[in-house]
Amino acid sequence: MTAVGVPAAARPAAAKRRQLQALARLLRLELRRNVMPLILPVAVGLFWFTSYRKAMAMPPLWGLRAASIQTGAVAAFVCPVTGAAAWMGSREARRRTIDLVTITARPQWARQLATWAATASWAIAGWLVCATVVYGVTDQQAAWGGPLWWPVAVVAASLVAMSALGFAAGALVPSRFTAPVVAIAAFFVLALATQPIEGSHSYWQISPLVSTAWDIGPDPSLGTFYPYLPDLAIAQLMFLAGFTVAVLAGLALANGSAGTWARRAAAVVTTAGLLAAGTAVALAGTAHLDGDMIAIPALHDAANDRPLHYTPVCSRTAVPVCLNPAFTIYLPAVAAALAPVLKEVAGLPGAPTRISQVAASYQQVTGNDVSVGLPGPDMSGTVFPLVLPDQVPAPAMTPSEVAAAVRGSAGLAILGVVINDGRGATGAQRAVAAALRMAVGLPEALPSVVGRQLVTLPLPAGVQAAARRFAALSASARHGWLAQHLTALRAGRVPLAQLP
Amino acid sequence: MNVEINGLTRQFGRTTAVAGVDLQAGPGVFGLLGPNGAGKTSLLRMMATAIQPTAGTLRLLGRDPGSYGPRREIRRRLGYLPQNLGYYPGFTVAEFVEYFALLKEVPAAQVPAAVATAIERVDLGDQAKTKLRALSGGMLRRVGVAQALVNEPELLLLDEPTAGLDPEHRVAFRALLRDVGQHATVVVSTHLVEDVGAACTEVALMDRGRIVFHGTPDGLAALGNSSDAGDGPLERGYISVLAGGRP
Repeated sequence: MTAVGVPAAARPAAAKRRQLQALARLLRLELRRNVMPLILPVAVGLFWFTSYRKAMAMPPLWGLRAASIQTGAVAAFVCPVTGAAAWMGSREARRRTIDLVTITARPQWARQLATWAATASWAIAGWLVCATVVYGVTDQQAAWGGPLWWPVAVVAASLVAMSALGFAAGALVPSRFTAPVVAIAAFFVLALATQPIEGSHSYWQISPLVSTAWDIGPDPSLGTFYPYLPDLAIAQLMFLAGFTVAVLAGLALANGSAGTWARRAAAVVTTAGLLAAGTAVALAGTAHLDGDMIAIPALHDAANDRPLHYTPVCSRTAVPVCLNPAFTIYLPAVAAALAPVLKEVAGLPGAPTRISQVAASYQQVTGNDVSVGLPGPDMSGTVFPLVLPDQVPAPAMTPSEVAAAVRGSAGLAILGVVINDGRGATGAQRAVAAALRMAVGLPEALPSVVGRQLVTLPLPAGVQAAARRFAALSASARHGWLAQHLTALRAGRVPLAQLP
Repeated sequence: MNVEINGLTRQFGRTTAVAGVDLQAGPGVFGLLGPNGAGKTSLLRMMATAIQPTAGTLRLLGRDPGSYGPRREIRRRLGYLPQNLGYYPGFTVAEFVEYFALLKEVPAAQVPAAVATAIERVDLGDQAKTKLRALSGGMLRRVGVAQALVNEPELLLLDEPTAGLDPEHRVAFRALLRDVGQHATVVVSTHLVEDVGAACTEVALMDRGRIVFHGTPDGLAALGNSSDAGDGPLERGYISVLAGGRP
């Protein structure tokens, strides 16, 4: 016979190395004969269908796409990963090898850990391929910024947790039906766990489906004006790690044949895991909305409150339009859209000398309502603050759609600010503002709220006639008159009859 | 003695599968004969540490399998082929045997050689890279024997090892048993009395959970001299003992 007995370890280090070598061989074997690679194409296909195409339709903004694929990937991978892990967990019972493997020297927890680790490794590999493709494409398209790794880590931790859950279910309730039942149940639990979310301080935000403030959703300006806040991601990682550890250690604990030391260790680890998960949930409950992100005081780094430094990209126009470099693709269209308006008011007293994109401000109102607005007054000196329509949560827009919307919002606002056409405006102010709107191709009358409806009321006849008269002047004549009379007009000292 | 059993009992609900068995076995090939339901498989599973006895004492390789540490030591030195071999169809022959070598804590550096040796010993060297799903029933049985042998066990427990083997491989297998039995204790549970006659140095006959005969194959054969039922001396002895023990 060939002597292949087990020699006593000469030295602890050598014995440990041999143990690791054996575990590495076991893991390699489990990796080679795992069911997960067979199911991964389904997960990747689901990801492509539900998340990749959606992310690629979004503007090439790192934060937006990262937040989007976190939610999408968790939803796409949950069923295949949990199901495949349950299938692997029930392997010994399904294949009737329980007696064969039970009478081996290696503890059950070590054997199961190897099978689970291989299963989870394949799932993570599949996800990393997906994330690499999304980030690779985004890297080619994005003008500024870099990949966000926290969402990638949360998805990876979610897959680890899902595989642990599925594996434990398969091992404890081995049946051919365990895998599909667990896969479907995991999907519904995950999906339903977001339903109770109310406000930015909900415990349920711990769900890995939540990539950013749930009431705002994936937000184009995420990580563009202020650093990405990893607070929620840290809490989610803590929860998922604790959950995974508790499930796996609980599985070892359920195995009655383990040694006393192993069972005690498993009990301690299970408790530690549950404590970590519970703490993470409690931390999520202390969260609040900070800008467009979620801040958790205990995990918050004050350094992340400072705005990001960036060099804005500006149009080469008389009144430069400057955007965050992440939004570079919008610059030509936005500058062109605002050009007629800026041409009308350029050089006038009180007119902006620069249009500068700023971060929107977000405030949790009640329940799941969030108010979105400008962070400060309409004008800071002669710099007009601009919030792009595509910068706030809304369906994705093309640059030309963004430009049209900017013209209708910022263009109107600029004219309103310059002429002082607000509440209580005089007839002359209203007429001049209307005239300028007509001159740049905007509607003569503005919509206003009547009751609960937004309606566009025609201008009073006198104002309308004066406006049309003023609009009919040449651009230079209008500009000349405004240069001379704008201060008095803004102060309300120009009567309607004095308009040319 | 590698196997020391005293008053071993195993009950499954109200059914007593093994009822107070006493048995000792040292190196050599030990045959365990008996009709269906005699309790052979339950006895073998207890000896394999797959199930625990309801009563009685069991010492294997000089250790008590009731304690975790000694049980693990026993398992390192144990080979077991169950009656119904479960297997993973996607594994190749070599992978399946390697898997069990690793579970039996064969040192990693020795695993490739141990796997190759075990596979060669059951004459499956040419099929090492064949997936188990592609093997015949007899070949799968030999794979089961290979995984049982891969750690060079000091105690080898085989439940119906020759079931499904063709005559050529059955003869080769008996030679293998004799070879292993020179150094280790081999316990073979079988229905086939010719296996016992050809390979075993000692035999026990079980019926209704008890050992009704314990001796040499020649001793069992001698008990059948007065009987005319059965095709050979061992079969006649087997039938005679069973008939004598029943009311």
